Amino acid sequence: MLFNSLSFIVFLVIVMAFYYSKFFDWTSKKRMLLFASYLFYGLWNPPLILLLWISTMVDWVSGNKLAKEEDPINRKLWLLLSMSVNLGFLAFFKYGNFLLENFTAMVNAVDIYYHPQKMDILLPMGISFYTFQTMSYTIDIYNKKIKPANTFLDFALYVTFFPQLVAGPIVRAKDLIEQFYEPKKATINQFIWGIFLLTLGLFQKVVMADTLLSDTSDSVFNSGKILNIWDAWSGVLAFSGQIFFDFAGYSTCAIGIALMLGIILPDNFRYPYASLGFSDLWKRWHISLSSWLKDYLYIPLGGNQHGITRMYAALMITMLLGGLWHGAAWTFMVWGGLHGTYLILERLQRQYLPFKITASNGIFLALLTYTCVNITWVFFRAKDFITAKNMIASMFFMNPEGDKVLGSFDIVKVFIVIGILFLCHWFMRNTSVKEVSEKTSPILLGVLWAVMLFLITIAQGSGEQFIYFQF
Amino acid sequence: MNLKKSITIAIILIITAISSWELYWRSQGYKPNIEDDTALWAVQRGKVDHASSNDVVLFGSSRVLFDFQLNAWENETGIRPIQLATAGASPLPGFRDLVENTKFNGTVIVGVTPGLFFSTTYPMASPWSRIQSRVTYFYDRTYAQRINNMLSIPLQSNFAFLRADDEEWSDDLNLKSLVSRIKIGNRTNSQLPPFYRFSDIDLDRNVKMSDRTAKDTAFANTIIKVWGFFGSTAPPPDKASTMAFFMEDVQNFIDRGGNLILVRCPSSGGVRIGENMALPRSEFWDVLTSKANVKSYHFEDYEQLKHFDCPEWSHLSASDATKFTTELAKIMKNDGALTNLKTD
Repeated sequence: MLFNSLSFIVFLVIVMAFYYSKFFDWTSKKRMLLFASYLFYGLWNPPLILLLWISTMVDWVSGNKLAKEEDPINRKLWLLLSMSVNLGFLAFFKYGNFLLENFTAMVNAVDIYYHPQKMDILLPMGISFYTFQTMSYTIDIYNKKIKPANTFLDFALYVTFFPQLVAGPIVRAKDLIEQFYEPKKATINQFIWGIFLLTLGLFQKVVMADTLLSDTSDSVFNSGKILNIWDAWSGVLAFSGQIFFDFAGYSTCAIGIALMLGIILPDNFRYPYASLGFSDLWKRWHISLSSWLKDYLYIPLGGNQHGITRMYAALMITMLLGGLWHGAAWTFMVWGGLHGTYLILERLQRQYLPFKITASNGIFLALLTYTCVNITWVFFRAKDFITAKNMIASMFFMNPEGDKVLGSFDIVKVFIVIGILFLCHWFMRNTSVKEVSEKTSPILLGVLWAVMLFLITIAQGSGEQFIYFQF
Repeated sequence: MNLKKSITIAIILIITAISSWELYWRSQGYKPNIEDDTALWAVQRGKVDHASSNDVVLFGSSRVLFDFQLNAWENETGIRPIQLATAGASPLPGFRDLVENTKFNGTVIVGVTPGLFFSTTYPMASPWSRIQSRVTYFYDRTYAQRINNMLSIPLQSNFAFLRADDEEWSDDLNLKSLVSRIKIGNRTNSQLPPFYRFSDIDLDRNVKMSDRTAKDTAFANTIIKVWGFFGSTAPPPDKASTMAFFMEDVQNFIDRGGNLILVRCPSSGGVRIGENMALPRSEFWDVLTSKANVKSYHFEDYEQLKHFDCPEWSHLSASDATKFTTELAKIMKNDGALTNLKTD
């Protein structure tokens, strides 16, 4: 079920009615939320709930065993079981065909005739998100950072909680499970603020991403032509805006819906396009994934505790795997590799060419960072390397006679929307929507809220899927 | 932060704004409209899975949508057809789906618009992908999408401003369409004229040409310009591939007891001239009917059908479509082409 759909509005109203009904105690409400979460997921593809159940059962059992087991070998075996099941699902459903294709290419390269049929595998929605979430639970218990959930119901709800089930934020067990222990009820202000965040998230998704930017991005990346510089940059900028609004919109909706239930979810985006460098970017973009990769991949790989070479290797491996997490294609690896390279170059710059960031040079640094990010988006969005190569060439003046696929208004629209987006991120980089709203008059806030609602209504989103559902 | 005050203001303003927006568009002559989208098509496609050998299924392009009036057909034969024609599309992928994925062995009427029927078998080409995407959607649709469709129908039926179709008409009223109408120069040298919606559809996909198209010549001319654009930019037909593809399904359908009928609906004016030049009857229709060896009806061959005039050269007005459907059904009945009529 999609947040930007009529069925979700009906679903949410029913869930809220039950949740705030006086006839149920807290345990019954949690059961209702769990059932609603399975329904939310099952209305997409019912049989795939089985994967959720298996993942839930395996990590519940592994977590409990890890908490009691003292023998180091047995503990490792229980952790291995959990990791094997979770990563096994991910490997099969998400990377099955990718692995098969590359294996085939490899054996064919050494003249071994092998041409297997492509497997018809359906990618379960949100598998990358809930897999990482459940793995963090087991690993944290293994590392004795947390205790197992009090009850199976609390744990199952942690894995399945519908606001963040299919596209995050990837919430750590200690941040969410403990919230389920005591009865939760939003205050009236929390509830209204939750509705505001839901509106803001839908506005980002339906109006900004789907209505204003997606067509331009699609026209450029699907054109199959060698493009003019203006078209290439417009397409890339449009995609950078589309993916931000799409994903940040989803996260904002998720945070808002959870808040309406009295549950606090962490921020997932903090104005990333005004980042001052790439370390800053990864503290602002998809924060829950980047912190997951840092804690469960970069640090176990050695982090910055074993010398510079190992640190750079750990950084690069983390970013390459982070790229692969997004999709089973080499273009995603290149996207991750570019980010890894940027991070390494940034550390070298800090070491050998340090300079102070001031108010006057900050915005130029942010613009430079954003420009470099846009180059990485080409590989993220392009369906193959030929498209990516042609796009990069067009962006850097190498195709002066390139085709024009966008109208003048489309180009003006993209540059205005992205210009406003960049400036908004710049001026908001040290604050939050909540802080700004607190300083805004209630009347102006109400008017802005109504404008967003009006634009969402007349945009009539046709239920476009969120981009990150495919990851 | 006084959120209660903010939400109260927002609610008052949004109700006022949406009401004004709706009234404005109604004052401009727009009225509520069901959308001929993939979800609506899928609902009809679902009926085929439960259809009996008495039922009739229609495939084809917009001419079958406009020219076959379901009420008229039902009045004449006692059976309400399942309308699966898709505007601008080849009938071949839909018919293939019916033959391969259902056990239906009733009557299938395939409308042959030569420019579309013989156009292509290339999956990415528009005439193919338009219908194939609907077939794919039918199999892939989620329960959530089904519920969304059910919930959207009452809204579409009551609000004029919710006028937005998969077709992306030039007079759609969703925000994307409104924004796309803003033009600065003609950077891409696009020659596509504006294409306005010229029909209404109901829940079982019975389509009628709008009164405006039938009566307002200037408006009909805007549609004629679009046919001119499509005609001048269409690639050459691929008769060999399309015929070969279709014949496979014809044989399989006939072998399991199905009753296949081919129909050539009327066209007139410049469209007719263009069709006769690019896809002459003797080389396309006659060859097709001879190879298929099933009942077939060309409008030119019947006194009752040959004198219709299409207001925008390609489709019949609602009143003419009713007459056409009634007369065609009578001809088919007299010909014994419809074998399973309900007589009560």
